[in-house]
Amino acid sequence: MPDAENPVSLLENLLKHPGRVVHELHQTRAPILAGRLLIFGIMGIAIYGTVVGAQSGGAQMWIAPAKLGVGTLLAVLICLPSLYIFTCLGGIDAQLRSVCGALFAAVCLSSILLIGFAPVAWIFSQSTDSIAFMGALHLLFWVIGIRFGLRFIDAAARFLGARSKGHFRIWSVIFVLVCFQMTTTLRPIIGPSKTFLPTEKKFFLAHWFETIKAPNQEKK
Amino acid sequence: MIEHFKTLLRGEVGAVSLEKAGLRWFAIYCLAIVVGSSVYGATIGLWRAPLQSAFTAIKFPLLIFLTCIGNGAVNGMLAQLFGSGLSFKQTALAILMSFAIAAVILGALSPVTLFVLYNAPPLGSANAIVGHSMVLLTHVFAVAFAGILANRRLLDLLRRMTGRDATARAVLFSWLAGNLFLGAQLAWNLRPFIGSPGLTVQFLRDDPLRGNFYEAVWRAFQHLFF
Repeated sequence: MPDAENPVSLLENLLKHPGRVVHELHQTRAPILAGRLLIFGIMGIAIYGTVVGAQSGGAQMWIAPAKLGVGTLLAVLICLPSLYIFTCLGGIDAQLRSVCGALFAAVCLSSILLIGFAPVAWIFSQSTDSIAFMGALHLLFWVIGIRFGLRFIDAAARFLGARSKGHFRIWSVIFVLVCFQMTTTLRPIIGPSKTFLPTEKKFFLAHWFETIKAPNQEKK
Repeated sequence: MIEHFKTLLRGEVGAVSLEKAGLRWFAIYCLAIVVGSSVYGATIGLWRAPLQSAFTAIKFPLLIFLTCIGNGAVNGMLAQLFGSGLSFKQTALAILMSFAIAAVILGALSPVTLFVLYNAPPLGSANAIVGHSMVLLTHVFAVAFAGILANRRLLDLLRRMTGRDATARAVLFSWLAGNLFLGAQLAWNLRPFIGSPGLTVQFLRDDPLRGNFYEAVWRAFQHLFF
């Protein structure tokens, strides 16, 4: 990959030539590249988080980016051991650094797409008071982003010689469910709250249904 | 050792590794079972209480080893009766290997089950029964998934060892039937694993050897339909 040191070149390659990034992640300098991808990914999510927080304004402008950044990092850490094992089950003789790199690159790619969606999300956040609508919209953008991220992991798996796709599909479901639950664990992300973290534990579907049924909150 | 486990997970272990089975591999598979299933077991009991977590971390590998020991002789005999050509030592190693794969998968899934546990309504809450069901279902899916994958790898190995698909399947299903039959009863004897919200935390129930799993299932069936 030409000029892997340059962040713009790295992100450009991630979008235009993901194969080059996959190849680079299998080389000796992979840990440095993987670290960069994770940092860019978390930063990208945090930038999108400011748009999420803009719905409520005030303290939520820093709470939402912090929660989204930490939540993404936690989801990655929770699912990394299973991705490594599932990679082996898929028939790949992968190194941990390559697996980490592929996952971090997927997060980075999805965060770039989220930044692309940020202006659209911001316009809607300034036009509506409905937390449920904005939640659904952010979720839709996140699903689109992560779909491309997971496609990157799939491409990396094929490059590394995966024999079966089934294991990655199962892992993808686990990762998406963990991320969905993370939005409930760290709630509220869009709307304001008196406490930083929730006092009651809930399953994400129960929380989503309650949000849909709840009346709209007044914008500050 | 890590390379060997990666080969195991990829399903690329050759017949040769069973043919020259040494004590080293027995020890390594046992270690993998102890580590993987203890870590996972700890996440099973943690919803009820930290002490239950410690108990389940001990009992989960114990359940696996007792099942292997209890069925060791009959599994070896069945393998020979079906014409697999496997010795008792090879049979034991193959079964330990499949349990080791399951334990490694479960160990890798334990951060996910721990996250589910963190999000489950706790014992003292009004929704404790929802929490119990959530934890129970998560573990049922995780254990079933790990078990299915481990047995697929075992079937691949048996195919390579025997050279015949029908024989490999016959041996695997006979082992599965025996292990499930005994394993279910041993799990009943070693209960509780998660720990019912209404009962005290115990290593074993007061009457662990009274009754059996199949009688309990039959009674539940009778209560439901008669």
